[in-house]
Amino acid sequence: MSRGLELAQDALRAAQGDEAEVVVHAERSGVARFAASIVHQPTLIENSVVRVRVLRDGKIGWASTNRVDDEGLADVARRAGEAADSARPDPDFPGFAPPADYPNVGGFDEETAAHGAADQARLAAAAIETAGDIGLYGIYTSGVTEIAVASSTGLAAEQTTTDAVCLCLAADKEASGWAERTGWRAADVDPTEPAREAAEIAARTRGGAEVEPGPYRAVLEPVAVADLVRWFSYDSMGAQGYLEERSFFCGRLGEQAFDPKVSIADDALDAANLPRPFDFEGTPKQRVPIIADGVIKGVVWDRTTAARVQNGQTSTGHAPPDAWRFFGPLPTAYAMAGGDADSPEELAELVDDGIYVTRLHYLSIVDPRGGVLTGMTRDGTFRIRDGKIAEPLVNLRFTVAMSDVLGEVPGLSRDRSLVNLSDLYEERFAHAALVPAIATAHFHISGTGSGPGL
Amino acid sequence: MKELAETAVDAALGAGASYADARAVEMRRQYVITKNGQVDDLSDAESEGIGVRVLVDGAWGFAGVGRLDQDGARDAALRAVEFARAAPGRHQTSLAPVEAHTGEYRTPLERDPFSVPLTEKIDLCLRAEDGMRNPDVKVTVAMVRAQREHKALVSSEGTNVEQDVYECGGGIDAYASSKDVSQIRSYPSQHSGVSGQGGWEYVERLGLDREAPRVGEQAAALLRAPACPPGTMTIVLSPEQAIMQVHESVGHPTELDRVYGTEAAYAGTSFLSPDDLGSLRYGSERMNITADSTTPEGLGTFAFDDEGVPAAREAIVEAGVLRGFLSSRETAAELGAGHGGSMRADGWSKMPLVRMTNLHLEPGAGSFEDLLADVDDGLYLETNKSWSIDDKRLNFQFGTQIAWEIKKGELGRMVRDATYTGVTPVFWGKLDAVAGPEEWTLYGLTNCGKGQPGQEAHVSHGAAHARFRDVQVGVSA
Repeated sequence: MSRGLELAQDALRAAQGDEAEVVVHAERSGVARFAASIVHQPTLIENSVVRVRVLRDGKIGWASTNRVDDEGLADVARRAGEAADSARPDPDFPGFAPPADYPNVGGFDEETAAHGAADQARLAAAAIETAGDIGLYGIYTSGVTEIAVASSTGLAAEQTTTDAVCLCLAADKEASGWAERTGWRAADVDPTEPAREAAEIAARTRGGAEVEPGPYRAVLEPVAVADLVRWFSYDSMGAQGYLEERSFFCGRLGEQAFDPKVSIADDALDAANLPRPFDFEGTPKQRVPIIADGVIKGVVWDRTTAARVQNGQTSTGHAPPDAWRFFGPLPTAYAMAGGDADSPEELAELVDDGIYVTRLHYLSIVDPRGGVLTGMTRDGTFRIRDGKIAEPLVNLRFTVAMSDVLGEVPGLSRDRSLVNLSDLYEERFAHAALVPAIATAHFHISGTGSGPGL
Repeated sequence: MKELAETAVDAALGAGASYADARAVEMRRQYVITKNGQVDDLSDAESEGIGVRVLVDGAWGFAGVGRLDQDGARDAALRAVEFARAAPGRHQTSLAPVEAHTGEYRTPLERDPFSVPLTEKIDLCLRAEDGMRNPDVKVTVAMVRAQREHKALVSSEGTNVEQDVYECGGGIDAYASSKDVSQIRSYPSQHSGVSGQGGWEYVERLGLDREAPRVGEQAAALLRAPACPPGTMTIVLSPEQAIMQVHESVGHPTELDRVYGTEAAYAGTSFLSPDDLGSLRYGSERMNITADSTTPEGLGTFAFDDEGVPAAREAIVEAGVLRGFLSSRETAAELGAGHGGSMRADGWSKMPLVRMTNLHLEPGAGSFEDLLADVDDGLYLETNKSWSIDDKRLNFQFGTQIAWEIKKGELGRMVRDATYTGVTPVFWGKLDAVAGPEEWTLYGLTNCGKGQPGQEAHVSHGAAHARFRDVQVGVSA
């Protein structure tokens, strides 16, 4: 790994004479990607990215590099300075974050950090072997990531984290099932568990039947819940979407918009998630209630959006990684409160007649202000009849308003699962959601798709 | 750079690889974004490194190291070999033969985009923003971008090529909102504008400031437009929406790695099977789709792909019948047809995957007005807003930013929140007209995601207005 904070401070010195902020984002990771029970795309990545933000005469410029020698650091500081010189003064710029104390939240595991190619390959092999005769598709990945922030305000923040993720699709031509595990300790991510679960689900999906489009009640497993909330969050749960009036939350703060059993907070300080003490501006993370007992409470903020609102709002510690800058602050460690149900089967009893959904695919935002999403179900869609999980179904298209899906929730599971949210684009930034399975009275099926399987 | 790639290949062979290729890459990306009259983002990112891919006893291994030096090249090679040796499973990999090539390629350009002063780029964005001002428009955004990717590819089979690719692009967005409704209008595309391979002249030709007033006015007008009523009707797609249809329902399903299942867990598979080649009816006689990595200004244009296969123009669908797949050397060998040519990697740190290059809906005949003239009651849809398709690329649902009713051959009232849905071969079977070459437009997208780790490909598509009969419109929650 890189020198983290030391590297950030070297880059800060290279930006001498300016107010500046440096973020170092380094990773060493391995992805054992498998298909048809063969590891076919094993990828090892080692990289350190240094991003410099310079303030000159009220003007901001950015530059980044992965050349971390003296010459590279001098060059990136120069380019950031040139960008600032060309910019226009930003009257809303709140300044760089001040120094802060950060809690020790955990999130680093020596054993996981020591993982190499042989470990990632071995753990992928364990998953493949467990799945047995049915083909296994997915990844086992582990990595160590270092994020450091230093600025001319004297701020100095550094965190090294680890993560391990095993995503398993067990499938053949006519059957498919999905299960996954995520954690910051590899020891908590036993790849045989999702492999076994995925194979068991797949075995029940042969001969998927069609259903008529229309309104249904449904049980959504945690993976599906996490995906729905993630897509809802893009426009609705961050300050940028809120200030730009794309959010479903606009004009609804304090409104009882959802079932009283629904509570969602963003809580990166929780070691049960993938914990982080600060954001990409070095601001300490806060636990942010987003929906409490069905009432809309607020959104997450970074320094720029908080300054823009000019009402005393401060950053909640949600400045995004470089690659997401355009989208503004977003929740990246959301947690949904659990309920009383002991199992998804108990939720099926509450639904009585409806659809059981394991996983979603290719979501898209149809109407951001209305909180309307569309997508498909896949890898474990079943009919619920007489309160029991019954025959398998083909993949179904849904088009739903989140105010409907979360508006009447007959029950939630007591247990919650940590669901991976990272697709591993750009620099590694492991993040996840801690969510239960839910029963909903409203899940609108708008079409039917292909059957389960490859 | 070539020397480093050669070092990596030698190190991999020395460590026991039977095949190796190495890509040394220098990348620079610059963005200028203005929002509501302020500079929102002025960034300049560079990244360099080497990615080494090896075959050891039939198993692939890949490692990327973010530095360009001899040690980094050797380190990447040895780590790739280590991963390949550790990879479980019974591996058997064959590669379609390709002649070893040496050569160089550089994007033809008139004005180096990195030589254009940032102040000029900011001025353009602010001018365009000014043009979108409207009391109902709450947020205006303008963006221009430039990219240079300089890469050298060396393989153990003798390929040794160097390519220097420049891209430019830009776009504008106007967000209008009222108490309960928010609408977006974009030009030339919602998807981070459009980009093309070339110099700054590409951005100048877009006319962002010229189109801005229309974009602002339409965003505001959408607030007062009625919601699109549901029904089954004839639709006409703008070229920009037609290319999304090509991308999602022809491009991805014809990627041969998806057909063989290697993307199953993430992006999904395909409704196509290898046996469908030459026989499957994909659409109507009017449907002609071409993959062309030689298209001028295409984001998928090159001299050689990331396996060293030369650029080519090939039919994918001819008169509605499947005639080709997008392939790699490995998948082409498995199919027993073709030779690859669509392998592309996102930077130095990722393994090449089968990706679209430039995939076009070939033009038909006539004008946009000719297409409308034969519609008694229908809908014209413009500029993509939402997009979703199932894991086999069959059931899709798209939404557009704006639409107009078509009544008795002419455009009628504007409607908002228009969506349409269908099943891929059924939908393409309803294609009954594509406008002529004079209306054919090339769009470059920079946000095509695939793979784990995720990779973003830059691809281009060309299309003219296209008409489809009996389509379900107006899906709502």
